[in-house]
Amino acid sequence: MKLILNSIKYFSATALIVILSLGTTENLNAQRLKHPVSRGGNTSMAHKPASRPVSRPTSANRKVTTPTNRGGSINGGHTKVVNRNNLPNRNTNNKTTINRNKPTTNNNNKQVINRNKPTNNNNNKQVINRNKNTSNVKTVNRRPGNTGGGHNNININNSHNNININVNNNHHNHRNTYVRHSHSHYSRPPYIFGGFRFYCHRPYFYHPYRPYYWGPHWHPWGYFVTTLATTAIIVAIIDDSNDNNEEYHYDNGTYYLKTEDGFEAVQAPIGAQVPSIPTEAEKVTVNETNNYYYGGAFYEQNADGYIVVPATAGTIVPNLPEGGEEVKIGDQTFVQFGDTYYQPIQVDGKDMYEIVDVLEDE
Amino acid sequence: MKKLLTLFSLFAVCFSQAQTKSIDSTAVYILDKMADIIGSLESVKFDINTATDKLDHDGNLSTYYAMSHIAMTGPDKFTSTTTGDSGNFGYWYDGEYVSYYSLSENNYVTLEAPDTILTMIDSMHTAFDFKFPAADFFYPSFTDDLIEDFNTISYEGQRSIDGEKCFYITATNNEKHIQLWITSNTTMLPKRLIIVYKKEGNLQFETNFNNWELNPNIPETIYNFTPPPHASLISIMAKS
Repeated sequence: MKLILNSIKYFSATALIVILSLGTTENLNAQRLKHPVSRGGNTSMAHKPASRPVSRPTSANRKVTTPTNRGGSINGGHTKVVNRNNLPNRNTNNKTTINRNKPTTNNNNKQVINRNKPTNNNNNKQVINRNKNTSNVKTVNRRPGNTGGGHNNININNSHNNININVNNNHHNHRNTYVRHSHSHYSRPPYIFGGFRFYCHRPYFYHPYRPYYWGPHWHPWGYFVTTLATTAIIVAIIDDSNDNNEEYHYDNGTYYLKTEDGFEAVQAPIGAQVPSIPTEAEKVTVNETNNYYYGGAFYEQNADGYIVVPATAGTIVPNLPEGGEEVKIGDQTFVQFGDTYYQPIQVDGKDMYEIVDVLEDE
Repeated sequence: MKKLLTLFSLFAVCFSQAQTKSIDSTAVYILDKMADIIGSLESVKFDINTATDKLDHDGNLSTYYAMSHIAMTGPDKFTSTTTGDSGNFGYWYDGEYVSYYSLSENNYVTLEAPDTILTMIDSMHTAFDFKFPAADFFYPSFTDDLIEDFNTISYEGQRSIDGEKCFYITATNNEKHIQLWITSNTTMLPKRLIIVYKKEGNLQFETNFNNWELNPNIPETIYNFTPPPHASLISIMAKS
């Protein structure tokens, strides 16, 4: 009995070692077919998935072909690691017998390029601008209510550390840009990217993001004044979950935060109760109720006037204020404000935006 | 006894793996030859015509056609321009930066990139789902990857495409069935690829290759991207 148990243990351990020796190759489904990443060229990429294991299954007659002098080939030369021996020959009309054991001196017919060759036309040589503007790389915020997820900067190449921030990252604006999920049914399938589903009622129709200005009284975020008009009021924040006791001032549709030197225009804080909103505010339908939209903020009417409410997925708005940025998400380009994504759409020939319902895959 | 058990377990694991494969040596020879020739190139130009099946939101099949012009100079220069039903766009990679420009939207993305064509393609595909037309054939381990990923690879004889004799190879696994036509002349280059996605309603992807130019002298400036007037530099979302 003891011998049988020991034998089982020994067998299990051996099998485990064998399985581990086969490796856990992470296949990257690059393009259409699978290609284990670490085989492709050199390994200087920052987003490198797990390397191909060194310990591959071995066989007695394995022939490993590794090209050397990888200079100018478009892919570093053809590599053959998998054993070609003992493959069955089909009985075909064009059957060819291959001598796989012939010695080769130059497996890849590679030519070595002299990379220091002199150029005859140096006058027209183009100098690369090393301070080239690069795109801001972002990730979807996975934690609802976390108000910083839209600004995670990722560098693709570790040999450079160029972070390009081209938006107003004022932290006061992040807390106001989350989305209430829509309860209405989406008949269109979601747009899927990176483990997230982007739901919209209307089809994607690209038009460039052009910030809208709501008349002479409205000021974009970041606008600074030393003093406010006498018509400005201090805003009461209803149900404010933010612990900061920041003092918001409101004047004719624009919200200001007091700073050391004056007042800075910021996005409308959710929960702000104001007595009136500008006449330029437009009615928008949200979940079969009417809201008002002005300066990028949504308002609900109540007994005391109007209260700022979060954006609701599915809401269609005609214009967007300054402070957003266009983000390429897969094949589509959205406009992002913090955690709110607006999909460009067209309604009756007019360019508009729909607030996207973003859900993480289970 | 222990030694016997060890040998038995090794044999069992190896045998169970080998049982599921049916790899034709003639097909592998042709694929190796093609990959050898592609791997020996220092520059290349070619055109592709693609047809991609997709399901619309009503579940009906739509086929999207596109045409791409592609140029590469090893080891770190790549450009492609695509016009088609899914929009007009291009990629430019100069060894330092990779840019994607949408002609349809007049916006572009520029990113610092790894320092070879293949690592750039891998990196951009992994992080952002960029799809580079016909990139599969330029992986140095193309044949190995097919051998590892497909249960059956077989050479089915010769077929003609546009009057040109081609080797016809098929490969099958649980998810895909692929058909490959490789020209049977001295250069042995890809002529047509068809992929059938078995688990996705047999949707098809087809690529036809034309106008191959081997080791052409390509001016390096074509790989540098200069944004057109009024084009916007936009942000990009990474697959997290």
